[in-house]
Amino acid sequence: MNEVKENMAYKPQYGPGTSKVAENRRKQMNPNQKLEKMRDVTDEDIVLILGHRAPGAAYPTAHPPLAEQQEPDCPIRKIVTPTDGAKAGDRVRYIQFADSMFFAPCHPYQRTYTECYRFRGIDPGTLSGRQIVECRERDLEKYSKELVETELLDPARTGIRGATVHGHSLRLAENGMMFDMLQRSVLGEDGIVRYVKNQIGEPLDRAVAIGKPLDEKWLKAHTTIFHSLGGTAYRDDKEYIEYVQRIHTLRTKYGFLPKEA
Amino acid sequence: MAKIERTQKLFLKSLKEKFQGQDVQSETTEFYKFNGYHQSPRKEEFVKASRAVEMDRGISMYDPVRCHLGGIPLGQRQLMTYEVSGTGVFVEGDDLHFVNNAAMQQMWDDIRRTVIVNMDLAHQTLQKRLGKEVTPETINEYLHVLNHAMPGAAVVQEHMVETHPGLVDDCYVKVFTGDQELADDLEPQFVLDVEKLFPAKQAEALSAAVGKSLWQAIHIPTTVSRTCDGGTTSRWSAMQIGMSFIGAYRMCAGEAAVADLSYAAKHAGVIQMASHLPARRARGPNEPGGIGFGLFSDIIQANRKYPHDPAKASLEVVGAGTMLFDQIWLGSYMSGGVGFTQYATAAYTDNILDEFTYYGMDYIKDKYKVDWKNPSPTDKVKPTYDIVNDIATEVALNGMEQYEQYPTMMEDHFGGSQRAGVLAAACGLSTSIATGNSNAGLNAWYLCMLLHKDGWSRLGFFGYDLQDQCGSANSLSIRGDEGAIGEVRGPNYPNYAMNVGHQGEYAAITGGAHYGRGDAWCFDPRVKICFADPALKFDFAEPRREFAKGAIREFMPAGERSLIIPAR
Repeated sequence: MNEVKENMAYKPQYGPGTSKVAENRRKQMNPNQKLEKMRDVTDEDIVLILGHRAPGAAYPTAHPPLAEQQEPDCPIRKIVTPTDGAKAGDRVRYIQFADSMFFAPCHPYQRTYTECYRFRGIDPGTLSGRQIVECRERDLEKYSKELVETELLDPARTGIRGATVHGHSLRLAENGMMFDMLQRSVLGEDGIVRYVKNQIGEPLDRAVAIGKPLDEKWLKAHTTIFHSLGGTAYRDDKEYIEYVQRIHTLRTKYGFLPKEA
Repeated sequence: MAKIERTQKLFLKSLKEKFQGQDVQSETTEFYKFNGYHQSPRKEEFVKASRAVEMDRGISMYDPVRCHLGGIPLGQRQLMTYEVSGTGVFVEGDDLHFVNNAAMQQMWDDIRRTVIVNMDLAHQTLQKRLGKEVTPETINEYLHVLNHAMPGAAVVQEHMVETHPGLVDDCYVKVFTGDQELADDLEPQFVLDVEKLFPAKQAEALSAAVGKSLWQAIHIPTTVSRTCDGGTTSRWSAMQIGMSFIGAYRMCAGEAAVADLSYAAKHAGVIQMASHLPARRARGPNEPGGIGFGLFSDIIQANRKYPHDPAKASLEVVGAGTMLFDQIWLGSYMSGGVGFTQYATAAYTDNILDEFTYYGMDYIKDKYKVDWKNPSPTDKVKPTYDIVNDIATEVALNGMEQYEQYPTMMEDHFGGSQRAGVLAAACGLSTSIATGNSNAGLNAWYLCMLLHKDGWSRLGFFGYDLQDQCGSANSLSIRGDEGAIGEVRGPNYPNYAMNVGHQGEYAAITGGAHYGRGDAWCFDPRVKICFADPALKFDFAEPRREFAKGAIREFMPAGERSLIIPAR
């Protein structure tokens, strides 16, 4: 995992804004801030949801361990310490999330920024209805555990979905769950959300519990999306708006080497 | 920016019709109970049709139960109908795919099969080189001959195959000029009369621009351009023009002057609707990727019919442009995909973009005193950074808030790219109409994209965002080595060439700048006049209405083949 070093020449600001949404965004991104753990999900359960390998099975490899192959004389390789997965030669696999626009705790670009600040050796992809992060398999399982167990996920409004992700912008079901055509996760009568299919939609041999949905009050206090219907209206965070306008104007005037006259 | 009150919500009727019996502002609904695709009459029709095809040919086909997600068919949530914006007509989404919509096909056919060819060069050849007399009478005779020949009939040959008139009934040639005296001397059947077709102010400007030149608006047969390609249009046209000159003016078929006529018709005097594309895109002239945005805004005629509503005029360009550039060009020509329709239709269905744009109109009137209902260059706002930012920000925020306040509308535009295109289009149109400057409109588009992305922490799909996140940097870059003004850019402009959901809107933003000024045309007055022709199969003044007619199967296209195939 990453952390920001004290002696860095550049001190990250993690974005503008005076609102609670902006503050939540900064907290999620800042690797020096510990994310609140909301639930326990076992390593085996993470592997089941991911669906890339059977629990206990060896990690398939894309190349021999780095220690066993001749590495070229590359200055970059001397600077960058490989992750555990890279060292072992793991293949690259993924986890993908769909986040409901109804106050899910994290959202696609926010996820990408957060992951880039907190994790190493990743390749995130950001869309409107889903966000994927790819990396070496054993690194993925470690990162996934953090992504699933912490405040970045709500069992009802965050979906772990490899394909057929549709749901982020739809109204919620009457029980508060985000729509999922494949119904990979279901809300039990005991109030617990369980994955009955893995992220690609293949039925699991046993259901994987990921806890109770977070309540509306918590979600609205912790969400990272502006939303004028019961949340923080975007226009109310004037600093945020002015920041975006400024970036746009600078790019218009100076391209991608912004400087003020 | 300062929010203004606007009580009218143009999208409400659509939402209430789409989500009947439901509170359109509710955040919850029911799923998984709609009986899959069976809720859609059109998809039921598809299944039935497919069974008949399978029986006939013995090869399997459409099977949404077996083949969709291993047994989970479409329709686990409500499959929506769509109102084609501005028409009041509700249609199935499937009916807006161009394969299922004859009007959409015809719109593109009518553009691809059109070239405009100058007559002055040929007349100079006839008069100065050959000493022939050219008069209104000889021109009329030539046009008779040309309207015989252009569909595919012989003029001077003795023994020749010809085309069946019943198959090429959409092919003809008319002429136009800014010389009203000459126009009055020509047979009315052949004349595009600028004074009659356009509002007086526009007609005056168009006539002055065209001057005494005489131009032929040529539409070759739909079937020909479909069987061949857009590059055929000028060739087919030039061949019949040459033969008709020979026939009408009693020329020698082999004399050297014919080469001059051919050169004029094929090269020197021809206006293509689209320039040819580089080898990596591999298309000839008159294919969609080469249509300049200014020229496209001239093809669409809504500003002629609705000169006092530049918003509507622009929205018609959006509808036509997203259909052509997203559904046909990027969707099929370039990517081969089928799903682009689902994306593109968001911009011309359910009056959502319309509502956002008219909010912008109210805003520019309220804050900047732009009398947008009386388009004029005199009350345009100076496109400063502050003003562009202000208009774009307010229109973007209003649109986002509408999506938030009406969860059914968010569900309607369930893809981020749909919302991104619609929001940014409203910002771009509002700004270009307010300023009369297409570059300011494009710049507003890109601010909207950045605002949207930061507000909701999402924008479009992987590639969609690419051009929008670098667009600020090229929307006011018009130095020769970096780009061109909006009117001259087109789908093949480097930063625009890859992503659905932009090009039709860019064309409309370009058009909006001129419609907002009350200009008679955006880029080429000849194109504006050519497509004002009421004899065209597709009515370019009402593209969205035409698409709706196509969707409900009331549009009669060209390209008849029943004369030459077995009766059913």
